Amino acid sequence: MSEFIKTIFHVDMDAFFVSVEELFDPSLKGKAVVVGGQRDERGVVSAASYEARKFGVHSAMPLRTAAKHCPHAIFVDGHPERYRQCSEKVYEVLNSFSPQVEMASIDEAYLDMTGTERLHGPPLRAAQRLHDKMKLATQLNCSIGIGTSRLIAKVSSARAKPNGVLWIMPGQEAKFLAPLDVRDIPGVGKVMEQDLHQLGVYRVGDLAALQENVLEDRFGKWGMALAGKARGEDAGGWFDSEVGADTDPKSISHEHTYNDDTADSEQLESTLMRLSEMVGRRLRENGLHARTIQLKLRYQDFTTITRAHSLAEPTQLDIEIFEQVRTLFRNNWHKAAKVRLLGVHVSGFKGHSGQIELLDSTLHERWNKALTTADRLRDKFGESSISLAAGMKGGFRERTHENPAGLPGKGRSEK
Amino acid sequence: MPVEVATATGTGIMEITVSKFELLRELTATQGVVERKTTIPILSNYLFEASGDKLSLTATDLDLSLRTACNAKVKKEGSCTIPARKLYDYVKLLPDAEITIKLLDNHWVSIRCGRSNTKMVGMAKSNFPSLPVFPTAGVVKIPAQVLRAMIAKTGFAIANEESRYTLNGALMVLKPESITMVATDGHRLAHIERNGEKFEGVSGEMKTLIPKKCMDELKLLVDSTNDVETIDFAKDESTLFFRIGPRLLTSRQLTGQFPNFEAVLPKDNNKHVSLNGDDFSAAIQRVAQFSDERSRAVRLRLEKGELKLSASSTDSGESEDSIETPYQGDGLTIGFNATYILDFLKAVGSGDVSLELKDPQSAGQLRPLGNDDYKYRYIVMPMRI
Repeated sequence: MSEFIKTIFHVDMDAFFVSVEELFDPSLKGKAVVVGGQRDERGVVSAASYEARKFGVHSAMPLRTAAKHCPHAIFVDGHPERYRQCSEKVYEVLNSFSPQVEMASIDEAYLDMTGTERLHGPPLRAAQRLHDKMKLATQLNCSIGIGTSRLIAKVSSARAKPNGVLWIMPGQEAKFLAPLDVRDIPGVGKVMEQDLHQLGVYRVGDLAALQENVLEDRFGKWGMALAGKARGEDAGGWFDSEVGADTDPKSISHEHTYNDDTADSEQLESTLMRLSEMVGRRLRENGLHARTIQLKLRYQDFTTITRAHSLAEPTQLDIEIFEQVRTLFRNNWHKAAKVRLLGVHVSGFKGHSGQIELLDSTLHERWNKALTTADRLRDKFGESSISLAAGMKGGFRERTHENPAGLPGKGRSEK
Repeated sequence: MPVEVATATGTGIMEITVSKFELLRELTATQGVVERKTTIPILSNYLFEASGDKLSLTATDLDLSLRTACNAKVKKEGSCTIPARKLYDYVKLLPDAEITIKLLDNHWVSIRCGRSNTKMVGMAKSNFPSLPVFPTAGVVKIPAQVLRAMIAKTGFAIANEESRYTLNGALMVLKPESITMVATDGHRLAHIERNGEKFEGVSGEMKTLIPKKCMDELKLLVDSTNDVETIDFAKDESTLFFRIGPRLLTSRQLTGQFPNFEAVLPKDNNKHVSLNGDDFSAAIQRVAQFSDERSRAVRLRLEKGELKLSASSTDSGESEDSIETPYQGDGLTIGFNATYILDFLKAVGSGDVSLELKDPQSAGQLRPLGNDDYKYRYIVMPMRI
């Protein structure tokens, strides 16, 4: 790494959901806006405008709490389809700047800009151009962090907000990080922070000053990664991979939290159908077949169970996912116990083994055709334009979340 | 009559003496039916009922129930429930002697044998689910060994996919002079038929879906029950009944439509190869070592005078084998899941088999050659390779 200095951009859209909502309703501009649902609904804040944030509202906060903090805020329902469409536009812009683009979530991305100087000029000029082009194409603002590693890029973009650029020049990494709070390092959460405080570590500089083996003894492999991070290096977990490499998702999932907990089996199964449909759609979008189907079930008292089953043959058909999930549900749900949340999660992406069906040999083909057509309709007219009848009663507004700050983000289509 | 434990709990006082040998024999036979992991505690218990000179034992997991009996000296008639697994584990350890079982207060049960003395915590008998009653009419007698053989030759093809509900059992078709059993998991199908029987009380066609767990249990019961020549079979709307000597197995019926299997039985497979079952099995096992671990795909190449087998995977390498055969027809290459073929070869045992193919996309058929008692055929769908 020392011989070959990389230039990584981290592009983070400013208050993405709110900004998208403002495009559709300009009267929201400059106001305290909370996206995610109405003030008296159950559920959490997906995003908050800068004005609302001043009152302590942040994403993942319950909507009702947000309403207490900021009573004058305007509450709007989320529109996942709008965000996805805008995200696609963002991706197109980024893709025209570098072939190595990795969307870390719906509203942020890493670009490997190494070796693009002759094309785009030095980093700051490239960033300026990117800013302009983004504004032109999407009417949205973004903030750009530039560094020799993803970590530095990520940390600096947060400091460039809103609508700014921050470049940490090669060699300045440790100096830049030293005064920052350890919590500012992606991957350091509440628990890790407390553990570090016990060691007398409050700033990243304190961390860098520690002997590596102290960290390793205390936190194992994680400690080693942490020591690297304190120096501004990419280490551990998702930081290890090259930008743009391995963007295939490892799993796909959808969840739904009820506004009112329910024990109505018809409604619950209908929700599972709807969730299976959404998962199936994403599988087909990514050209994947999943073998392991998992049910997540949270009761009113927050007890949560997950139950999984692996199929003999991987599938991307809504109906097969649903059949599995329904069986898992029927076998594990304590009847009459009210359910708060349901989730459908698939993983184990494999190719088909090639086994031909004996019964209903054309069934798969017929479903495939029908679902492909349905997908095309959704592409054109929106996600709710068509759905399987069994999932109708389970219909609900889809919720999307911007990646909470501090989380590294997952694969592009994983969220 | 001397009054000993006078404080009855409303479920009847019970006191019996039974030989350890007989009790253990029946406990062993019923273990398979006792529910292991259950959220309904009573299902982990036996129901003991003493009357006349018999102790009857009942176990159930709601899907499947087994009632059996053994000789007992009944001092006081009555009934109780006892934790099944614990009782079994304990009785196994007792000396070969007489065991006295007595119901005490609050559903406690005393078990005495020689110098051993134990009290177990039972549950109220009234919690035990009531079992369906054996119908008085419509009973069909099926030769025990015939049913056993048919289960052994089809049971392995039943789907393990719980979600494919109607494939979780085998279809039994009784006609006045024949019995047929069919099982499939959607990739392969086992079909066995026996003619020349006499089934009294059967007119036309009597179709029954038998759940896999019930089939497994039936097979075990035929093997473990002495001197049983015929099984009494009956059913009502929701339940199947099988009486095997002194034992009665009842099973919840699978409802739903078994797939139209007749439509998928191959009719024009014109490439017939005779193979020795043992040779075929050995060759497949060898090459399958090098097949893809998940798909288990092996390639069969049929040529004049020879069947070539091969498999390969990026992880383990590649392997080839070949078997001599009198085949002189056209060549053909086809892929199969090795497990599916081996399951069949294991079920038929040694002897020659006939492999009958059409083309690489159509179902293959396997039959044992030479056995005329049963008409046994096994259909396997190929894999795209």
